[in-house]
Amino acid sequence: MKARQHWLVAIGLVLLAAPAFAQQSSPAGRIKVVSGSAFIVRSGGTIPAEVGQTVFESDSLRTGDDGRLGITLDDDTRLSLGPSSEVRLNSFRYAPAQGSVGLAMSFLRGIAVYVSGQIAKLAPDSVRLETPSAIVGVRGTSLALHVVPE
Amino acid sequence: MTFARRVVVLVAVAAGLQWACGPFRSRTPQPKGQATVVILPEADGTVGRATVSNPNGSVELSTARASTRVVPGVAPEAVTIMSEEEVMRRFGAAIAAQPPAPAHFTLYFEFDSDELTAESQRLVSQVQDSVKLYPAPQVAVVGHTDTTGSATANIGLGLRRAEVVRMRLIEAGVDRSAIVVTSHGEATLLVPTADNVNEPRNRRVDITVR
Repeated sequence: MKARQHWLVAIGLVLLAAPAFAQQSSPAGRIKVVSGSAFIVRSGGTIPAEVGQTVFESDSLRTGDDGRLGITLDDDTRLSLGPSSEVRLNSFRYAPAQGSVGLAMSFLRGIAVYVSGQIAKLAPDSVRLETPSAIVGVRGTSLALHVVPE
Repeated sequence: MTFARRVVVLVAVAAGLQWACGPFRSRTPQPKGQATVVILPEADGTVGRATVSNPNGSVELSTARASTRVVPGVAPEAVTIMSEEEVMRRFGAAIAAQPPAPAHFTLYFEFDSDELTAESQRLVSQVQDSVKLYPAPQVAVVGHTDTTGSATANIGLGLRRAEVVRMRLIEAGVDRSAIVVTSHGEATLLVPTADNVNEPRNRRVDITVR
């Protein structure tokens, strides 16, 4: 095989491998408070939540009817859930030295409290809190939300 | 009407009223996808701002316990103030599950050096005390420099400063696995300056305990 063909094969392999890397989600925060039945929903599976576990981008947090759950994200954002609640962490980017920050969550059902962190301070427009009926934009804020499931 | 009969009628009326009023509210089905959003005061008593919007309209929440309700396909309802009791009744369980607020510390360095100023050396034990207050604690240590010297060299200097702080924290008793060290070099100045400016307030390590 000629040198050029080697290069083409190498480039092809990198292109094939790239999506696999892209799908790996990055750490976003840590579970700090758990009581009753509380879970992380990750790639379709359900994992019982424990204090100290890492929460990743695209995880969902879910509680049973006796459950509570509290997490702190790496930008100081705090999120806590009451019973029978679910919130999905759609995206989380916190690289202030590269000027890249962003946070999106979906409040799917139940009750939750959101306390803004550094991302809302650095770039408030990059925070997106979604509910089934409206989008909430924040300017350095603590919010309580209640969502009736769809 | 005899007294006894009067009592019976009164009880019947009362029971009827209770039947009509009491369970009425809870029997009203809550619309699917309805969201209630309440803005809460910060720990220091100030209140931030939030905008609740959908394609049909938008409202702004900017005073303590300002609240709106919104169902899919309809503009958010006019803002009302929710009482403290109502906030606790509805959201108390989620409020109780809130992790402790992260704490921030800034340590300063001598010029072109990884030597902590005397004042900042004393802060190290305060950081260590704070770490004990957090479940599964994380200590983020970020090194920064002023704009003297090249950006590349300053990444290195910031990292050396952060490493010095890491060692001090471990000596003070902080679990080494809780500490994460990074450097921003001169990328995130505390006091914005031109290039090559000797600014003591930019020669720092920021510590976040969460």
